[in-house]
Amino acid sequence: MNFLTALAIATMFSLGLFQLMRRNTIRSATGLVLLSNAVNMFLFTTGAYDGVAAAYYQAQGQVSDPLPQALVLTAIVISAGGFAFVLSLLYIIAERYKTSNSDEVEGLRN
Amino acid sequence: MDWLILPPLLIPFAGVFTTLLLRKRRRLQAWLSLAFISAALAFSLFLAQKVIFEGATFALQSGQWPVPAGITLVADPLGVFMLVMTQLVLSAGILYAIGSTEKVVQYPTFYPLFLGLATGLSGAFLTGDLFNLFVFAEVIVITGATLTGIADDKYGVEAAYKYFLISTVAALLFLLGVGSLYASYGTLNLAQLGELIQTEPLKPLALAGMAFLTATFLTKSAVFPFHFWQPDFHAAAPTAVSAMLSSVVVKLGVYGFLRMTSLLFVNQADTLRLLLVILGVVGVIYGGFGAAGTHNAKRMLAYSTLSQIGFILVGIGWGTPFSIAAALVFTFNHSLIKAAMLMLAGAIASRAPVKSASFEVVLGVGKNSPAAGVLFLLGGMALAGIPPTNGFISKLGIFWSGVEAEQYLPLAIIGVASILTLFYVISAFMKIWFEKNPNVKPKQGDWLIAPTLLVLLCLALGIWGEPLIVAANNITASLADSSNYISIVKEASALLQVSQ
Repeated sequence: MNFLTALAIATMFSLGLFQLMRRNTIRSATGLVLLSNAVNMFLFTTGAYDGVAAAYYQAQGQVSDPLPQALVLTAIVISAGGFAFVLSLLYIIAERYKTSNSDEVEGLRN
Repeated sequence: MDWLILPPLLIPFAGVFTTLLLRKRRRLQAWLSLAFISAALAFSLFLAQKVIFEGATFALQSGQWPVPAGITLVADPLGVFMLVMTQLVLSAGILYAIGSTEKVVQYPTFYPLFLGLATGLSGAFLTGDLFNLFVFAEVIVITGATLTGIADDKYGVEAAYKYFLISTVAALLFLLGVGSLYASYGTLNLAQLGELIQTEPLKPLALAGMAFLTATFLTKSAVFPFHFWQPDFHAAAPTAVSAMLSSVVVKLGVYGFLRMTSLLFVNQADTLRLLLVILGVVGVIYGGFGAAGTHNAKRMLAYSTLSQIGFILVGIGWGTPFSIAAALVFTFNHSLIKAAMLMLAGAIASRAPVKSASFEVVLGVGKNSPAAGVLFLLGGMALAGIPPTNGFISKLGIFWSGVEAEQYLPLAIIGVASILTLFYVISAFMKIWFEKNPNVKPKQGDWLIAPTLLVLLCLALGIWGEPLIVAANNITASLADSSNYISIVKEASALLQVSQ
């Protein structure tokens, strides 16, 4: 299980990184989401294997660490907001430059 | 008395919502933002007097939770120093925005976003928790990118997209670093992490965490080789905002490196310092040549930031008490100078026939505003390090500490490269104020109050720099031993347990 989780995160991370580097702006935005989900999963696993019970008040048995869950919750919210922001920027760029190829978005080059 | 940490953070935060409610009443919104940030500045100055000069320390556990669970807010000398610097420049930025002729300042959420930037910066310098630092860094990124996206400059959106993509990747690296350190040490409290990393430095993911944090802070400060987005972004932002981005926002990385070398990774600090010296020297050369080769005044100043950050990193990298104090003085002075210079470049651009800071457009525009010329010359002297300005003190400090540390090779390189500063500042000055341009007509532009105040402050600190130098020495003394910071947090946590 540990190995499978690690493999899943690694696959997701590499796919995300690959997509992020693509020339197409939509693909690179998708890559950003994959990448941030991979990182969130990684953050989540740092506390995944310590306990057997959910971290409620007066829980029975070895409770799992609630802090990574709180961190991931915050990180998910931030990355969701960031993704919405990227999409809105892409919308304006697509409208203004009539392209989704990042090589053709080059107003700043000169 | 520990509640005194809260006002510098909560006042701008309250300002975000108050000014958002007043978005229909533009004048009131603008002046109220200035009131909010000045009130925050007054509190941070009081905090600085207590913490830096009188040696008091403040720490607060949010929600009364003990150390690893609750977020710690710490007012240690370094954090308060950066806080005062930030809020000083941000106040000037809002004052500039009030008198700005750009359309962007009429945007209903301009001032709320600006105060959001202030909240992010204040929080980042006051927090004692690594994950909380990530959250505040994200606040800075989102507000900075939005403020640039709404710029008058038609390339604002493109620059904002570029910056946001790079910063988000940097933020993900930061999260990976947070995860690595949490997996290794089971805490994210900076003080506790510092203590644990010193006792067990060789946990499997500790060095990976250090590498991730280094990459993040290099991106935040736009240091070579993570610099490529910076000139685009800083040149396309509205003037009032670019003056903030290029002066105080880039200092987040500097702050991060000071914390990393003095608190988190004390055992590995020498490796990190070597890296900082190398990257700093490259940055000084690269930024200098980049600035000399551009055709736009704002872009030139953005490149100049690359080279000035290089000086600061070299100072941190030498790692002697003298050089760290010099780097701190340099950090403070550079913020004032760069903010003033960018505001002046923007004020000139607003008086040009077409609104642009490109040298072709602003050629000879200075004829109608000799006052701005005097200020630009004084600011340029400060940037190049000519007495009697504060830039002279900061450069003298860096060079002198290099001689003391016997680092002659980097010293020689940055010495030669710093002559470039003089070259590009003078050439910009000659182009704007001494060339003749028949198209130039007198035109109302942005107010010059904010840059005037900043340049006067630069002169005052150049003539009477003692408070700044004493402050820098006190901070360096507190950074010399990581137990200073750790004991502040421990005391706060111990008090909490007694009261419970």
